Amino acid sequence: MLRCEGATLDYGSYRALDGVSVHVEAGELVVMLGANGAGKSSLFLAISGLRRLKAGAIRLGGRDLAGAKPSAIVEAGLVHCPEGRKLFPGMSVEKNLRLGAYVHRRDPARSEEILDEVFGMFPILREKRHDPAGSLSGGQQQMVAIGRALMGRPKVLLLDEPSLGLAPLVVKQVLEAVKAINAAGTTVLLAEQNAFAALQIADRAYVLENGRIVMEGEPATLLRDEGIRRAYIGA
Amino acid sequence: MSLFFQQVLNGLTLGSVYSLVALGLTLVYGILHIPNFSHGALFMAGAYAAFFASTALGANYWVALVFAAVVTAGIAVLSERLVFSRLRDKPPLHDMIAAIGLLLLIEAIAQAIWGADFHRLREPYPGIWQWLRINAGLVMPIQRGIIIAGAVVLMIALHLFLTRTTTGATIIAMAQNREGASLVGIDLTRVSMITFAISGALAAVAAVLFVPISLIFPAMGNLVILKAFVIIILGGMGSVPGAILGGMVIGLVESFGAFYVSTDMKDVIAFAALVLILSLRPEGLFPGYAR
Repeated sequence: MLRCEGATLDYGSYRALDGVSVHVEAGELVVMLGANGAGKSSLFLAISGLRRLKAGAIRLGGRDLAGAKPSAIVEAGLVHCPEGRKLFPGMSVEKNLRLGAYVHRRDPARSEEILDEVFGMFPILREKRHDPAGSLSGGQQQMVAIGRALMGRPKVLLLDEPSLGLAPLVVKQVLEAVKAINAAGTTVLLAEQNAFAALQIADRAYVLENGRIVMEGEPATLLRDEGIRRAYIGA
Repeated sequence: MSLFFQQVLNGLTLGSVYSLVALGLTLVYGILHIPNFSHGALFMAGAYAAFFASTALGANYWVALVFAAVVTAGIAVLSERLVFSRLRDKPPLHDMIAAIGLLLLIEAIAQAIWGADFHRLREPYPGIWQWLRINAGLVMPIQRGIIIAGAVVLMIALHLFLTRTTTGATIIAMAQNREGASLVGIDLTRVSMITFAISGALAAVAAVLFVPISLIFPAMGNLVILKAFVIIILGGMGSVPGAILGGMVIGLVESFGAFYVSTDMKDVIAFAALVLILSLRPEGLFPGYAR
């Protein structure tokens, strides 16, 4: 479904991604583990067209995304829910969500249905639909960010650190929502530092270090790996 | 007392013009973070476009107004495409220098075509508003009423456009979070062009409303743009309500200053008010007033 081949990205003289090859098959939930600065966000930004690769290719269902505009990538069915959420803080929750469906503005009927599904998944958002998104708690803002991404009707959803800075109980709630989204048929690539929790819901995982993939495997294998346990789980 | 209200009317007239110019400036600043010094040249270009339409093409006032808005929106979009969009990733100083360069360029072009002389655009409805004179003793030329009414209509239209339409929402989204706007699939190039077009059209309409009671000359935009910057600093950079209220404040300060102190001092007073307000409230009058 989504395939990166030898993705290489430079920020000036700093190489953020160095020949990264990953693939996510239709219906999978794949976790990308890695410390801060390992290159997770760079990879996601490159996939969604906000950073230009120096070398390598990114394909979505066989279509080459090289040089495609971010808006064309969203239209193709790849939606990125970014680290730090990037909401529109002065706009109401509902308006944030509706803008998520911007590329589908000629099909408002289906967007209404999805909006209802999002409110069903996160009932608190229905309650706060008229509040400015910036006034919500961190967990609720993360729900808006995920909801906004779902409004874009993703075939593949990139989720960048949805649990960052959230209380443990909220992390659990967010990851359960991610699992439910995946179970409903959306392919998910999830970047997380919270390795233990993320591996519980993953089909497969990669480990990214200094811009390179250093390991790939089943969650159970990674959970048994001594290096992974030390680096990401602390046990 | 009627002298006092006379000044209020004059202040509102000036304030309407300033607000319209400041609105375009604040929109461009809020969305693209470009301090567009060439905005004053757009104001001037609008006046000349209307002058051209009414003299060379024989258009009536309202046709000339629409013509000026369209032409000036086009010039603004061109300046975004050819200049500002290419400086996106450069230091902010480059935008500023480019804007000043554009200002001088557009001014020089106007001077080359129409010369440095003053020109006039005739008032479409000469005379004063009799009802106000008889009932309140106020002298209100009809053109001043058109200025105030035109500004109010445009402000309401702009507000409805920004808050009620999807295209308006994309402009606000880009102002509030550029990367977030990109990620939902908003085409930032298109939004930038629309924003520049609106700012150009607003500047042109402000100019065409204003010139029947003023004069057309190549440097006419300079003082106006300086004041518009004062206004958006006062109102909070990027704030739409701030630009409107700030424009009215400066317009009133100027007209009261001109009347109660001296006409020669009106610009001094306006800028003194800026210094005073900013030293008391460095964050502007409406800090955090969300766009």
